[in-house]
Amino acid sequence: MNEILSLTNVTKSFQHKIAVNDVTFTIGKGEVMAILGPNGAGKTTTISMILGLLKPTAGEVQLFNHQPHEKQVREKIGTMLQEVSVMPGLKVREILELIRCYYPEPLAMEELIDLTGLTEQDMKTRAEKLSGGQKRRLSFALALAGNPELVIFDEPTVGMDITSRNRFWQTIHHLADQGKTIIFSTHYLQEADDAADRILLFKDGAVVADGTPAQIKSRISKQSVSFIVDPEISLENLYLHSEIDDIYRKNNRVYVQSNNTDRVLELIFQEKIGARDIQIERGKLEEAFEQLTSSAKEAI
Amino acid sequence: MKTFQMQCKFEIIRVLRNRYFVFWSLVMPILFYYIFTNVVNTNAPDKAEWQAHYLMSMTVFSVMGSSMMTLGIRMVQERSQGWSTFIRITPLSDTVYFAAQMMGQSVIHLLSITIIFIAGALINDVSLTALEWVMSGLWILLGSLPFLAIGTLIGMMKKVETAAGISNVIYMVLAVAGGLWMPLEIMPKMMQSIGKWLPSYNFGNGAWEIVRGNMPEWKNILILIAYLAVFMLLSKYVRRKQEAV
Ligand SMILES: Nc1ncnc2c1ncn2[C@@H]1O[C@H](COP(=O)(O)OP(=O)(O)O)[C@@H](O)[C@H]1O
Ligand SMILES: [Mg+2]
Repeated sequence: MNEILSLTNVTKSFQHKIAVNDVTFTIGKGEVMAILGPNGAGKTTTISMILGLLKPTAGEVQLFNHQPHEKQVREKIGTMLQEVSVMPGLKVREILELIRCYYPEPLAMEELIDLTGLTEQDMKTRAEKLSGGQKRRLSFALALAGNPELVIFDEPTVGMDITSRNRFWQTIHHLADQGKTIIFSTHYLQEADDAADRILLFKDGAVVADGTPAQIKSRISKQSVSFIVDPEISLENLYLHSEIDDIYRKNNRVYVQSNNTDRVLELIFQEKIGARDIQIERGKLEEAFEQLTSSAKEAI
Repeated sequence: MKTFQMQCKFEIIRVLRNRYFVFWSLVMPILFYYIFTNVVNTNAPDKAEWQAHYLMSMTVFSVMGSSMMTLGIRMVQERSQGWSTFIRITPLSDTVYFAAQMMGQSVIHLLSITIIFIAGALINDVSLTALEWVMSGLWILLGSLPFLAIGTLIGMMKKVETAAGISNVIYMVLAVAGGLWMPLEIMPKMMQSIGKWLPSYNFGNGAWEIVRGNMPEWKNILILIAYLAVFMLLSKYVRRKQEAV
């Protein structure tokens, strides 16, 4: 039984709006999954249901084969919410001490400090006097305080500077190496591509793609072969082949779009058009993302 | 059990670090006590009785304030800062959380009572029998329950500013109209008859009776219990309504 989280036909609707629409997926132990999607795609709502903060309108969420609100589930998860929360009146060290004692096997304080980059100064500061960056570090430490098996972050790097961001991802990799299961949401493609081994792409509350970054790229974005050719030469013959989806010129190069780039190469030589500097262009995740999410904006 | 202790400990630390608490619940009542028993001549027929009476008034005033304001505003703060949401994701159970809040609040009250009683003993040599000290202290501790219930009601408000403003007004109205600042007897008849039904008057009167060597009146106890029931039901109703949305 390696299944840690499962959502089955989960839907959440607010008064007039369906925020999450019939979402089904499961996560196994040790996976690092990104929930990727533009603002308003339903990431926070989905995470809130996973954490038991919101009740699904329909469908079921199970964590470690239990309901999200059960104590034994809570002991195994750690989380960093999109809105950073602090407990006014206490110093960082005190808050961490308090939260650690909620869990049966908390992480040692030193390890917590090491992992999150909290400084001695941070530890002595009262929660209400923390800067944005310090709050984020505290929030990160709170997520790890109970030494959780599953960590869930909602847009963790928003508001972090480059240094803290790098440190954050380093720690995430470290946690992943320890076999922890990690879910994070983001609207940065680069982040999802770099840090996750699986991406769940959300659009308008539904999952529109689910796979490794590479799978998603190859499935969604078109591949093409590009080359330089004498402008005088006619490319008409190429159009006759049904494998080719589109041909266009950009920056002095000709782009031939097709799912079968091997066949395109064959055709180029077969037609003897004198193509030079031939390159195979793999779709970028960026483009796939734009493609998938752009129609949402048009619809509005 | 360790969780409960830690939770209590930190709840108490938080209150003691709160400047508003220290000012409104300790400094103000003691200052008022000094002024109205030493500086202003109140022409009280029995000076010693007035000094004991007013010491009870000010202690009740202090505990009533921290029940409503400290608890209420802290609840709003925790919710508006997202802390309550975070706590819901941790394994801390609602029961332990609630119990620790109440326990922490009671320890704080006990502390306020002790400090103000000692201040009274030092400032005016107020001397009561040991039984009277203990009984009046206990009365004030238990009598705060309806006000803690008001505190949880205030705690359901959305904004800290609203909660602070409204609780301040309720606090002052209850204190003045309930005869905690000035005895009800010197107020107009109308005010007196209204005041006798307020929770603050009944809270105070129990303690006043004790320092006169009597027991709190049954009416005081019943009215406070009735208020407690009403506020708890109201608080349950509001919570249910908020959750439904
Ligand atoms: N409490 C709510 N009431 C009404 N609509 C909501 C509520 N929470 C979220 N929504 C709507 O649901 C959609 C998804 O929101 P959200 O899950 O926050 O998206 P994301 O986190 O991906 O930006 C948005 O259109 C948002 O306006
Ligand atoms: Mg969000």
